[in-house]
Parts: sequence; C-alpha cells; structure tokens
Amino acid sequence: MANQLLEVKGLDVFYGDAQALWDVSIHVEEEAIVALVGANGAGKTTLLKTISGLILPRRGEILLSGESLTDLSPQEIVDRGIIHVPEGRRLFSDLTVLENLKLGAYVPRARPFFAESLERVFSLFPLLKNRKDQKAGSLSGGEQQMLAIGRAMMAQPKLLMLDEPSLGLGPILVKTIFELISTLHKQKTTILLVEQNVNQALKIAQQAYVLKTGKILMSGRGEELLVNEEIRKTYIGERGIKR
Amino acid sequence: MGDLGLIAQAFVNGIFFGTTYGIAAIGLSLIFGTMRIVFIAQGAVIVLFAYLCYWLFTLLGIDPYLSLIPITLFSLLLGAAFYYGLFKEAAALKDRIGSLLIAVGVMFFLENFMTVVWSPNPRGVVTSYAFYAFSLFGTNLTLTRLIGLLLAVLATFGVFIFLRRTLIGTAVRATSEDVEASTLMGISPNRVNAVAFAIGIGLAGIAGVNLATTYSFDPVYGFTFALMALIALALGGLGNVIGALLGGIILGLLQSLGSYLIGTMWADAICFGLFLLVLTFRPQGLFGRPT
Amino acid sequence: MKEERLAKYPSNLLKPLKSFKFKRNQIYIFITLLVIIAFGTVPFYIDVDASFFAYYLFLSFCYIVLAQGWNLVAGYTGQISLGSHAFFALGAYTTAIIWLNDVTKTWYYFDPLVMVLSGIVPAIFAIIIGIPLLSRLRGDYFAFGTLAAAEVLRVLIFRGGDFTRGASGLRLPSASFVSMEPYYWTGFVLAIFATAAVYLITKSRIGLALKALSEDETSAASHGIHILQYKVLAFAIGAFVIGTVGSLYAYYLFIINPTAVMNLNWLFLPILICILGGNGTIIGPIIGAFFVAALFSYADVYLVQTHPMLSGILIILIMKFMPTGIMGLKERKWFRR
Repeated sequence: MANQLLEVKGLDVFYGDAQALWDVSIHVEEEAIVALVGANGAGKTTLLKTISGLILPRRGEILLSGESLTDLSPQEIVDRGIIHVPEGRRLFSDLTVLENLKLGAYVPRARPFFAESLERVFSLFPLLKNRKDQKAGSLSGGEQQMLAIGRAMMAQPKLLMLDEPSLGLGPILVKTIFELISTLHKQKTTILLVEQNVNQALKIAQQAYVLKTGKILMSGRGEELLVNEEIRKTYIGERGIKR
Repeated sequence: MGDLGLIAQAFVNGIFFGTTYGIAAIGLSLIFGTMRIVFIAQGAVIVLFAYLCYWLFTLLGIDPYLSLIPITLFSLLLGAAFYYGLFKEAAALKDRIGSLLIAVGVMFFLENFMTVVWSPNPRGVVTSYAFYAFSLFGTNLTLTRLIGLLLAVLATFGVFIFLRRTLIGTAVRATSEDVEASTLMGISPNRVNAVAFAIGIGLAGIAGVNLATTYSFDPVYGFTFALMALIALALGGLGNVIGALLGGIILGLLQSLGSYLIGTMWADAICFGLFLLVLTFRPQGLFGRPT
Repeated sequence: MKEERLAKYPSNLLKPLKSFKFKRNQIYIFITLLVIIAFGTVPFYIDVDASFFAYYLFLSFCYIVLAQGWNLVAGYTGQISLGSHAFFALGAYTTAIIWLNDVTKTWYYFDPLVMVLSGIVPAIFAIIIGIPLLSRLRGDYFAFGTLAAAEVLRVLIFRGGDFTRGASGLRLPSASFVSMEPYYWTGFVLAIFATAAVYLITKSRIGLALKALSEDETSAASHGIHILQYKVLAFAIGAFVIGTVGSLYAYYLFIINPTAVMNLNWLFLPILICILGGNGTIIGPIIGAFFVAALFSYADVYLVQTHPMLSGILIILIMKFMPTGIMGLKERKWFRR
C-alpha cells in the first residue's frame, strides 16, 4: 500500500565484543507512526543510534527509500532527513533556545528553509517563541522536550526518531507530548517512536515492534498489540498504567 | 613614592603580560573544549611565531605589527594542518593519552627545531619606536606593551563575536558541550575541530608577535609559557572566552607582583601551587560553570 | 553512555600472568634464566669500558627501571603520571647530598643503603602529593597536577640554597670513576629488581585487587579508604623504583643539577617506552627500553645536532600509527564519528 520509508534488515550490532542486537528487522511506512517498545536495555536506543549512523552495524542493511545508509556518515544521514532526538533530549544548555533551533537547521538541506521552519516551530510551540533568548538549560523539563522536538523539526525531517520523549515528565506533560506527536503525524511527518510508556505508545502507533534483549519479540499493528495478553501483563500491568 | 611606583609598575606589567597568557589560554580552551585535547605545545608554537616575527623583522625589515597579517594567516592554516595532519584520529578516540603525547611530541620537535635554527640565545624584536613610552601615575607604559594589550583584547573580542554571532561559531560551542548531540544535528566534528584548532593557533600567532615585541625569548621558553596558559585556563574555567582572558590577567598580576615581592622563582611556585588548589577544589575555574 | 566508557588504557599494561599451563610456565622461566645469564656474563667477554654495546646495555637497564617504575603507577592508579622527572631528580639529589655531606659515612659508590634512601625520599614525596591528588583528581587533571607538583619541586631545588646549590648543582668527585663495570652490574641488578618487584606485585592479591578496582571505580567506591591507600602505595613504590635509577645516574653523571636530572626527557621517556613496548605485559617495557635506548644512543653519536628532534618525531609517529594498541582499535570499530 504505502511506501516503505525505512527498511532495516537483519541488523547485528556489537559493542566491542558484546552483541547488542540480533538479526533485527523493522519497516517504517511513510507517514506512519511506528512504535518501538521494550524494557530498559532491550536495545531500543542502540537501534536508533545505528540508524542515525553513530554506531556501525556488523551485519545487516538500512535502507531509506531504497538507498542504503550503512556507508554514510552521521552528517550525511541527517542530511537525508533522518533526525534522531536522543534520550534525555541532549540540548545545548549553554546556548539559547533560538541558537539551539538554529543548529537544528544546520544541514545544507534544511538551511534555505530556516525562516519557514522557524515560523512553523514557533506556531507549534508558542512558549518557545516567548523564551527564544533564554538559555536552554533554564527551561523546565517539559519545555526542554518541546525544544528538543522543535529543534528536530527545524531540519524538515523525513523520518523523525524520538527516543523516550515522555521520560521524566509528569502525566499532564506526557499527555501534551503525545498529543503533539499526533499533531505531527497529522502534518504528514513519519515518526519512529521509542517509548517505555507502552500504553500511550501503542495507542497512537499504526505499527509496533517489541524488543527484548536485542531481538524482536513480536510485531504488529498498534491496536492489536495493545490488547495482547502477554504485552499487557509484562509491559502494561493490570490497569493499563505504565509499569 | 618610589616603592609605590615600582609596585604600580609591576601591576601594569602583570596586566600586559596577563593578556598574552589570556589569549594563549583561549586557544587552549577552544581546542580542549571541542576535542578534549590539551595542546601542551601551545607555548612552543607561540615562541615559534615569535621567532618568525623576529626573522621577518631582521631579514626583511618588516615591522612586527605589519607581519601580523602574514603570521596570522599562516597560523590559521597551520592550525588546520595540525588538526588534519596530526590530531584528527586521536581526537576521535576515547583515550586521551594519545593526543597528549602527540602534543608533547610537537612541543619537543618545535623546541629543538628552534634551537637548531636560531640557536639557544635569547632574541627579541626591537623596533625604532620600541622605547616610546607614556608616563602614567609614575608608571612606564611602553608603546609596544600597550599595543600588545590592545591586540589581545581585540583578539579576545573577535573570538567572542565569532562564537556568538556566526553559525559555525555556535556549532563550535555546541560541540564543546556535547559532541554526540551536535553530530546528530548534522554538524561535522572534523570541520568544527579544524576551525577550533585554526583559531587556537591563530591566537598563538598573535601572542607570538606580542611576545617578540615586548620581551626576550628563547627556544625552551615554550614549556613554561604553556604551563602558564594552562594555569590561566584553569583559573578562568572552560568554555568561557572572557573568563580565560581574565584568568590570564589574574595570573599575570600574580606572577608580576609576586616576582617583585618575593622573587621570580617563588612567584612561579605560588602560581603552580594555585594551579594545584584550583584543580583540586574548583576545577570549573573561577568563572566557569560547575559541571 | 555506559557502553562508551573511557578506555583506561594504562590499566592494560599489567595483565596478571594467571592462566598459565605448566609447560609454558617452565619455558618462560628457562628463557628468563638464560637471558639473565647472558646479560650477566657480558662483562666477562666484552671490555665494558671500551665497548659502545656495553654502554648501550647500561642505558637500556636504566630505561627498564625507569619504565617499570612509571608502569606501576599507570597500571595501578589507572592514571598517567607526569611526575617521573621529579622522582628521578629526587633520587639523584638524595644520593649527591648524602655523599657530599657524608651522611652514611660510605666511601664507595653504589652503596645499597644510599640507593635505598634515594628511593625512599621520592617515595615520601609521592605520598605527600599522592594523597591529595589521587583522592580528588582524575585523568588529565591528575596528570597536570603531578606536572605542577614537579614544577614546584623544581623551584624548591633552585632555591634550596647550599643544600642543592641551585642551577649549578652538586658535584660528585669524578676521580672516583674507575670503570664502567660496576655501573653495568648495578644497572643490571636494578633492572632485574624492578622487573621482579613489578611482577610480584602484579601477582599478589593487592595487585589483582587494584587492577580490578582501576577498571571499575564504582564498585570499588564502596570500599572507600582502602582504594586510596593502595593507590598511594603504588604511586610511592613507583617513585621508589624511579628514585633508585636516579641514584645510579647520579653516580654516572657526577654533575647533578636541574637541567641534567630534571629535564623533560626523564618525564616522557618512560611513557614512550611503555607505549612503544606494548600493553598488557611486563615484558613490554623491557622491549621498549631496548628499542628506545638503541634509538637514542645511536642518535647521540651520529645525529648529535638533530637528535633531540627525533624524540618529538618519534612520539608523533608512534601515536599516529600505533596509537593505543588493541584497545584503541576496538573502540574505533563500533563508535564511529
């Protein structure tokens, strides 16, 4: 039906001599939200880092619209439109909000559209506009997450990869974040979402993968996995509250 | 008034020399901030440029402040060459000893190269106007030292503007804070590192000209100078251009006043002692942000 | 990220020789004995005074001791020390001061008591600076801390009045120089001593514990004060070893001043030797010492003018093309930039 934007095939990733991912394969359809869930240390961040080029896989392929990514540098991968928002946001706390956003549009592909992207981000996140000359480190947790996502949007991403965006945020903010992700989805952004908040993630995802100790345990449509017995027991708990 | 005049003189000298330490420290800060490399050869490089300035003056009659132009250009190129030629691989490794040793190697090579080419005898650049001086409150402000001060302040200002107002300058600051995150923005670490190195050595070029016009120097002076720059950096704190300059000035004052009061060697010892104290109890420097 | 820890390069310099098969063990012992006998009998078939080769061997022995001393610190504190020249100088000065002030009433050189004392003084210095530095500083900061401490020492030596005679230094009567033989023997014995000491410490429980601790500080943290004690101990023993070769060199040089015994060569030589010789073994520093001694004694004779530049180029070449050995290459493979 829709095109495969991202295809990961048979990935084996090692840290030194320790294997972190075993034969991992996932697809991300264009304009979809794909969720990647699993416990701490299951390898979700490793997978994202491999896709964004920070880690070299030992075996396997990564294709973006058919083009192989494995020989490209991280900079080239960003220039192709794959934007990775890392776990813990990793903002430049000494730089202002505006400077962080400027760097978001650093790549040649995104730079000509800087003004346009900035407007779009400010309309998505009015509070960032208010704080544009404040140092990023002085923002609250929720605001920082907005900035991180806003910064990623500055690069006009083809594929937006979010690593645990709801981490460390209170329930209201978590709701806001997921609403935001839905909005972005409606604006036709393809999203690969890594989350520990399995309940929320599966609710908004069209497709989902469950990762366990470096291997894909199961995959399927979001709504299917949401009602799956095993998943509910292991990751969601009896009353649908995040474990 | 005599004694007070001498102290005032030492004070003034301290500030002048301190600003040169300061820009050397800024160079170190840029290189360390982006690549976590302690470029211990900074002092030797400064002396090298002092010798070049000396050469241009004695062989070609070029005024030292005019020679700033070719020297600064050359220093920027040399900095980039240092990075791509020597430090690129080492910067990427986690282990810090490799880059430290390469810097040591550069220092040794340069020191001995200069000894061979220019002999161990001290040199200095003495222009016709070198002895113009102004008198202020009983202190002697020589023209060359004033110009040196001006150059240092301008250079600091220039770097400051560069880091704040240009995109690549912002990228340098970002990389200094978090390399991985900046890589995820599509910022090429190599380019940023090369720029940082180029500016670092460029500052060394300016410091070299300052050194040549205001003091005498010999090939082995580089090591002491590098240590001073390091102390200035420790005082000023990382990631803080103005802080590094201030750190340099404080150090210059300490050394100068100390030399007047208790002798050069003991003053130096106090500087090293202060270095140890700062390292131990306040590693972020006097002006830096706590890590 | 926890996976991308700092590669504690020097901790690999000393791997315990644990898993040994009986036969292999025997062969190593045999070879070691052979080598010892070979070197030990050299003065019997070579005229030590006339032979350049003997001088080269003497230099190698000195370098071995120097390297093993530094190696001990790097391996067990897990940190690079930039203070070897301070320990070396202290050893040399102690010997000179003892002789000139007739402290031990010895009338001959190479008195073991003097050499031991020459090792103890640097060890005390190491304890004094080691306690604050090792308890609070890491990595680069520690390295520069040792460097700064060494520079303070330099000032103390320059301003030591009659005791150290500042820049001109102390002189031992060179008339006592009779032959190279005792130098050769002493150097040889010291080299064996140093290597054996390092080896024994490696195999002792303290050594193994320290090594495990230096690789994973967090688990060690729960043991609190003991780590610091062992680190300082390692630092002090390393200083002791370097001090003894400083003493030997004092007998050799006769003139002991900061330029001769505290120049930066004595700082970087042990580091260069250990890195060149390779990580992970006790043999490494020995091989490195022979190699570097060869280079330097050759250059001293044939390339006197440009010889010092060699050291600089050498370090650069080594660090560029054989940077951190196996650890470095491994790191590069999965974390690329």
